[in-house]
Parts: sequence; structure tokens; C-alpha cells
Amino acid sequence: MNKYYKKWFWALVLPSLLLFILVILVPFLLGIFYSFTGYKGTFFLKDRVATDNPFQAMVGLENYEKAFNNESFQHAFLYTVKFTIIAVVVINLLALILAILITNIKGLANLFKTIFFMPNLLGGLALGFIWQFIFEVIFTKFFFGKDGLVPIDFLTNMTQGPIKPLFALVILVAWQMTGYMMIIFITGLNNIPEELYEAAEIDGAGAFRKFKDITLPMLMPSITIVFFLTLANCFKLLDQNVALTNGAFNTRLLALQILKTPSDYLIPDYGQAQAQAVIFFIVIALITLLQVYFTKKKEVEM
Amino acid sequence: MKKILQVACVAITLCLSIFFAHGCSQDSNLSATKISSKNKYDLYIFSSKGEISQPFKELCNIYEKERGIRIRLQQIGSGTNHLEPLRIQMSSSEKPSIFSIQGLRELIEWQYSKTALDFNNSTLESFKNLANEIPPNFRLTSDGKNNYGIPYSIEGYGYIADKQMLCDIFGENNLKDIMRDLKVSSYGEFENFVKSLDFYIKTGNVRSFELNGRTYMPQKDKVGLAKNLEAVFSVAGAERWTYCDHMVNIALGAVFKSPFELLNADNTQADSMKGALKKYAKSLDLKTSHAMVKRGPEFINVTSGDYNRAIKDFSDGKTVFIKQGNWIGPNISKLNPDMLKRLVVFPVKMDMSSEDIKRDDMTVDKFNRSIPVYVPNFFAINAKVDIKEQELAEEFLVWLNTSDVARDYIINKFGFIPYNAPDDLVLDSSLNNSILEYKRSSDTLAAVYHGVGENWSKETLGLKIMEDYLTKTDWQENDYNDIACFAIEKFKELKFW
Repeated sequence: MNKYYKKWFWALVLPSLLLFILVILVPFLLGIFYSFTGYKGTFFLKDRVATDNPFQAMVGLENYEKAFNNESFQHAFLYTVKFTIIAVVVINLLALILAILITNIKGLANLFKTIFFMPNLLGGLALGFIWQFIFEVIFTKFFFGKDGLVPIDFLTNMTQGPIKPLFALVILVAWQMTGYMMIIFITGLNNIPEELYEAAEIDGAGAFRKFKDITLPMLMPSITIVFFLTLANCFKLLDQNVALTNGAFNTRLLALQILKTPSDYLIPDYGQAQAQAVIFFIVIALITLLQVYFTKKKEVEM
Repeated sequence: MKKILQVACVAITLCLSIFFAHGCSQDSNLSATKISSKNKYDLYIFSSKGEISQPFKELCNIYEKERGIRIRLQQIGSGTNHLEPLRIQMSSSEKPSIFSIQGLRELIEWQYSKTALDFNNSTLESFKNLANEIPPNFRLTSDGKNNYGIPYSIEGYGYIADKQMLCDIFGENNLKDIMRDLKVSSYGEFENFVKSLDFYIKTGNVRSFELNGRTYMPQKDKVGLAKNLEAVFSVAGAERWTYCDHMVNIALGAVFKSPFELLNADNTQADSMKGALKKYAKSLDLKTSHAMVKRGPEFINVTSGDYNRAIKDFSDGKTVFIKQGNWIGPNISKLNPDMLKRLVVFPVKMDMSSEDIKRDDMTVDKFNRSIPVYVPNFFAINAKVDIKEQELAEEFLVWLNTSDVARDYIINKFGFIPYNAPDDLVLDSSLNNSILEYKRSSDTLAAVYHGVGENWSKETLGLKIMEDYLTKTDWQENDYNDIACFAIEKFKELKFW
């Protein structure tokens, strides 16, 4: 087998490598380059002089300066951090609880797995519009409104106001991602040898002790993956954000902020948007690297 | 065998890479690809008026046959984001020769990049004449002298009403008078009228009111369409462009004559908008507090406050007015074709005093009887395509606006009001005719709002009004002031110069 891979290495790798270079690496490097120019989408502008040559419109760190001073970028950044923290905690907890429940039931386990997984099959935009309807009509009029089944003011008009839209998005994202993460947890839970629990029981360990000292450490590899996936996905969430509120009530997450930056100016400021994207990339890279490093350290070798 | 496979794999990969590399190099290798593209078309039109895509395509086919040239046509709906696809085309080697510009706010980008051709520099005599004959108020210009667009059509908007509805409320004898008086009435009278109507709709009781000095009263018994009435106005609370582009524009029309005046406005001129903007807020208050959906969180929800819903309510006869323009014609013809023949448009009233009006050619009375009539979309010519293609583009636009067959298409198939409509032109749509009447009597306002970007109108002022004001039931006097101050402050921050 090894010989096979050695011999065919370049033939097998080259197509993917080429695609990666052309579709990801080149645009990425080009993007970094554009972030240092007065890029306006179809031309370059420096000191109100338009040119087609990017080298005549190098503006240094001006775009980065503009990005850092841009209030909506700052707001979007904080908002994204807030959203990510809440969403990651909620999704991880829910997925773990569901996984534990499902591994402990017999019979209908597969049916539940399928049902919980299904929202993940829907695209982000479709989900956003579906939940917009649920929040605006089902929640507000039928369930939680003044004349609804259980009047809870917080759960009405969840796409509006200073705080509610954040939780609306968390509900949506949790509904979408939990099933997927649950599957990863279930696999992890099934890989924990039964003997460990038996031994612990003989030693007199209770349910909590077993969970804390066996399940959690043994589940660490799954937790690393789930943590990574939820963190990265929540941080770069776009479609759901667009469909649900589209930035109204200050709900721009970073990805939407970058998308909307060009149209925030009469002459579209793609240069600044590009600078924001580079900052965005660095932040995501840093966070996920750190997270993987720390959770990996917690994993135990069998 | 394995050797052959290996070679084949590498060969495929190489082919792929050449294919991609070719795709990437198109940009830098303009001259080479130009020749190849020449084989595909002679004239490339990018139109952001997808609503007329079918008839426009037919018209282009006619032109192709008549002149023996090939046209490449790309069309996108005017409500969708047309700028991103256009920018992509503009960055490619096959640039459109004719493209759409939706008003002055979109011109800036193309003017700066020297993509849009100033028609003053055109060499084709017939085209120059066509461009010079565009009435000054319908020109796409950033300083009053340059000239960048040939209008698609003209549009107008205001409070649209169904004549039959007015007839059923006030009786046939009064219809003519009330239509005339409603058109010229003052804001105060209009406010009273709205309140009386609201009272009539809600309680079934009648109260008299005055319009243009004459006293009117709804009929005692609700008959015909009046029986279905639920509110005075149909408002799309989730559609910020309706109240923060179009409605604000009416107030801006009291201060500026044209969009380029607003574009070039300094801070002092910006401050001078305050009075007019306060009156805008007051007028918006009147409209939104007498709407189908009660002002509050539900008002701005997409499910209850979107454009189609608002038109549906109006076409169902649940409201007396809707503030929209002749572009709702196609929607109405699907929902209630009979109604289309009975629609008329009235000015959106604002409580302007002579101090609020800053134009020397405008009076309070004239303002009260005027509606915005303007060009929503222009054909522009790309100065970056070669001169032969530019000339073909010019010839096409001359033909589009002067030939009989094109004129027939514009009026009958596109359903447009031609910008160069002769005075005796009578159109099928009563709405279009109603707008032409305003144009003929020169009771018009410009699309001043095109002088400032959507980043101000829709994304800043629009969001503020939607989030903070349309969600609350009661507005106070100081709310008008706050809205005006906010609008001016943000205008100064976001204005172009």
C-alpha cells in the first residue's frame, strides 16, 4: 500500500493541489494584496485619482486603519464573539445531553438520531427564512404572544430589539448544528470501553463521578472536534444571519459586516472590506489553533 | 499499463491547469480575447430592468435582424442586487457596451472609473441630438453639465387610490370635485380628511371635513367597495425604501431642485433640510398611524409588512390609499385587473411652511400639488469598450428612442411612460396617465434622493426609523425633531464630498 502511494503520490495529489492553489490560495493572496490598495471593485482609487493599475494605488495600512476605526466593524466583532460564546456553550451542552440520552435508550434510538440530524440537511438561507416565520408568526402569535398558549414576552418578536435577535440566532443555530455534533458525541461515547464503567462501579463510583472521571476524559477527542467545528462555524456564520435579520437591530456578524462593507460607501470600498476579511481570517486562525492546542492537551491516551 | 495511466493522469492535470491558467489570464490579455469575443457578439447590453426581459429581448431581436448585428443581452431584476454582477462583467474582458445606471447615486462609481461615457463627448450626431434633447430634469448628471444616461422611462409616485373606492365613499356626484380638491389640498386639510376617513372606517359614523375650502362628508351607508375597508393606508413597514428613499425624497424636494444639488450640498445646506425633514416625519406619523397593521413590533415584521402584502391589501380594497408608484401596475393587473383602469395618484402631503421650502421656484401651494416624476433607470455607454462598439451602442439607443417599432414596444409591451412622451399621448394604464398629467402641468419633484447613497437613506435613516419609531405606538412632537436631526447628522457623515 505504501509503495502504491509513493509511486502515485503526485498524480493523486496534483488535481487537488491545483484546485486548492487556484481557487483558494491565489484569491487569498490576491485578497491580502488588495487590502493594501484602494480597491473599488472595478478600479483602484488613491487620493481621488482612479487607475486600473493596483500598484499606483497602494495605500499602505490605510484600509486596516479604516477597518479598526469602523464602528460597525467593531460592533460586529464584539457581537460575533458574544454570539459564538453563547452558541458554542449551548450547542455543546445540548449535543452532549442528547448523545448521552440516546446511547442510553434502546429501540427508537436510530429514529431519534435521524430526527435530530435532519435540520442539518437544510441550507442556511432556507433555515433563516423558516425561522423568521416561526419567530414572527408561530412564536409571536400562537405560542408566546399575549393571547397565545403560554405568554412569554421574551419569546415574542425575537428578531427585534437589542438582545432578542442574538438569542433568536442561537436558537436557530443550535437547532441546526446540535444533531450533527450529537452524532460525533455518540460515536465517541460508543468507543468508551464498558469495562471502565464496570471497574468504577466496583470501586463504588456514582453516576456523576463516572461522568467526570471516565466519560469526559475519554470523550476528549470528540470534544476537540465538536468544539472546533462549532467555534469555527459560529464565528464565520453568514447565511442564517442574512436570512433572519440581515443586519437590522445591529445584528451584523463579522461575515455579514464584510459582505456589506462595500455598499456602506457610495463608491464601494472593497479595499476596506478586504482588510476586514484579512483581520477576520487572522482572528479565526488564532482562536481555532489555540482551542485545538488546549483541548488536545486534555485528551488521554488509551 | 500503469505507466500509461500515470502519464494520462499527469496529462489531464496539465490540461486542467492550462484551462484554469487561461481563465486567469483573460484579464491581463485584453487584446487577444477581444478578437475572440468579437466572434460572439457586436453589442453587449447589460440591463437591470429584468421586469421587461421578454419584450426587451424581442425588441433586440428585431434590431438584430434589421441591422444585421449580433446582440448579447444580460438582464437582471431591478429589485435584486444588480451591481455585483455588473461589476464582475466590468472587470472581465467582455465588458458590456450598454449598461444600466439606476440614478445619480450609482453614477459616481462609473464616473470616477471613467467607465461611463459623457454624451457631450459623443461623435455621432444623431445620438448627440438625442442626448441634448433629454429634458434637464430627466438627465443623469453630477454637475448639471455632463450627461451620462438615456432614460429607460419615467416613473412617478404618490398616494394611489381607486376612483371607484372614492366614488363609493363620497358618492358619484362628488367624485370629480373631491379628486380635484384632494390633489391641491393643504396638509392640514388632508390630515383632517384622513382622520375623518379613519373615523368612518372604524365606527361607520360620518364627520365632515374640508378640502381646498369645500366641505365634504362620506355617505351615511357604506356601499360597494367601502364595505371592505379596514384602514386608510396600506403600508409596507419592512420595506425601508418606501419610507426612506421615496417618502424622504418628497421632503428633500422642498429644499433641492435636483439630485446633483443634494450630492454637492455643503453642511449649511444640509442644516437647511431640518424643517422639511421634520415635516416628513410628521407626515410619516400620519400615514403609519392610520395603516392596516398597527404600529408596533408587528408593523416591521417581514411576514406582515412586506411589499407584496401591502399591495395585496390595497388591491383587495381594504385600504383607501397606498403610497407607491406606477411600478405596482403589473402586480395589480395580476391581483385585480379591473382596478388597474381606475387608479389615480395624489400628492403625498407634508406640512411645509414657506420657511421650510428653500427653493426659489417652489411655493407651498405648488409643493402640495406636486408628485415626484423622475427617471429610475438610465442606459449608459461604456467608454472602455472600443470606439466601434460605442458607436453601435449609440446607434442602438437612437433607434430605441426614435423608431416607431421601439416606441410601440416601450409603451405597449414594457408598459413604460416614455420620457419624451408627446403632450397628447394617452396610455392604457390610468395610473400612467395620472402621472403624465402632473408632468404636463409641471407639478413635479425630482428624484433628489439619488444624490445620496442608500447607505444614508435605507441603511442608516431607514434602519433608525424602522427600529426605533415604527415599533412604537405613539410619537411625540420631539420625535419629529429627533428624526430630522439624526438624518442631517448622518448625512454630513456619509455624504460623498
